[in-house]
Amino acid sequence: MKIVLAALLSAGIAGIATVDLSAHHSAIAYDRDADVELTGTVREFQYTNPHSWLYVQVVDKAGQTVDWGFEAEGPSTLLRAGIKVSLLKPGEKVTVKGHPLKDGRPAALLVSVTKTDGSVLSTDAALRRGPGGKPIDAP
Amino acid sequence: MHVLPLRMAAVVAVITVGTFVPRTAAAQEYEKWYKQSEQQFLELKQKARGGTRMTWDKLPDWTGIWTHDGGTRFDPKIPNYQPTSAKLTPEYKAKFDKKLADQKQGIEWDHLSYCLPAGFPRWITEPFLREFVVRPEEVWWINEQQSEVRRIYTDGRAHVPEDEAYSTWTGDSIGFWDGDTLVVHTVNNKEGQYNRGQPDYSDKVSTVEKIRKVSTDVIEDDITVYDPLSLVEPWHVVNRYVRVKTPNLRINMWSCEENNNVVKTQDGSTQFILKGETGYKDPNSVITGPGGTQAPK
Repeated sequence: MKIVLAALLSAGIAGIATVDLSAHHSAIAYDRDADVELTGTVREFQYTNPHSWLYVQVVDKAGQTVDWGFEAEGPSTLLRAGIKVSLLKPGEKVTVKGHPLKDGRPAALLVSVTKTDGSVLSTDAALRRGPGGKPIDAP
Repeated sequence: MHVLPLRMAAVVAVITVGTFVPRTAAAQEYEKWYKQSEQQFLELKQKARGGTRMTWDKLPDWTGIWTHDGGTRFDPKIPNYQPTSAKLTPEYKAKFDKKLADQKQGIEWDHLSYCLPAGFPRWITEPFLREFVVRPEEVWWINEQQSEVRRIYTDGRAHVPEDEAYSTWTGDSIGFWDGDTLVVHTVNNKEGQYNRGQPDYSDKVSTVEKIRKVSTDVIEDDITVYDPLSLVEPWHVVNRYVRVKTPNLRINMWSCEENNNVVKTQDGSTQFILKGETGYKDPNSVITGPGGTQAPK
């Protein structure tokens, strides 16, 4: 998995904004200086407290399917950012950015989700975009 | 004019006479600082002539949903993981220095990850949604996190008697109204930390707060913290809560055990059990099983 992660990290984009995961646990397990960007299919969106988790099925370079977990804030914080539970449905193709776990397991701190219509979901207002990638006002 | 609670009357008498029975050095220090906290509250109450006799028609309008402004900082001017503005005792300064050093080494743990409450005064800094329920005799300050309610009694009652008092997560809060300002004295708290990247406090911590709505969308909490074990002098900060205007937003039940797969590592840091790994508690089966942490064999 570390090899897979390394390959994925090499494709990571620069300049992913820092997110403030300020709820019930430290974010020390994540590498906030590293970025990962993956494209896959939504398997499950756990819209829960204390944190939500978006699970995405990703096919790695070896052709193996890997379930990646992306940790996000709880429902009320996501709602304030316009991220409704109905916006991410199982089977939907998405591109997800995040800060990966330091230990190489397939999980990351969610930064943003780009849908096929070009809209970008994020708790970081600077990253948020509407359909077609157009800027939108924070709700 | 409210009747002065018996305990406070005793404190005033002690302060006036300037004597009290010494015990251990720590107990003496506690007595001194505790009285300062109580004295500040009492002086504010005397200045307010016992407090405004509040009726339903006089209550301020604090309706709406609010959230802490400025992240989780207790002193809004000081970023987390930076030197604090609190004047710490050597013991707590050393604790704080170690906390910062550990964090730089990748080691950090928070008792919240066990799904325990934040505790007070840390409670002041917690993010997420807040709501005030204001009644003449009592104010409920609701925090979405853990669905906690902090009850502030404004009916003139005293603190819980000392022979019945014990430390709780939100402490024991009594208060009075000075016009539109809610003045609160809180004691009987559990030890804790102001938040991650901030200092610790002891279970001797007590606070005096002056809470008021300063504009349509801002409620301000002016806080003075007393703690004889962690502070060499009272710590004064002003926190703000801003109105949340997201349409259709409600404060829902917040269950921490609903989806908590955070574990403490052997070196005292924070890690996760991921879906598919041993010990993972699947939120989809947390009620019906077989999810859940395995009992040791």
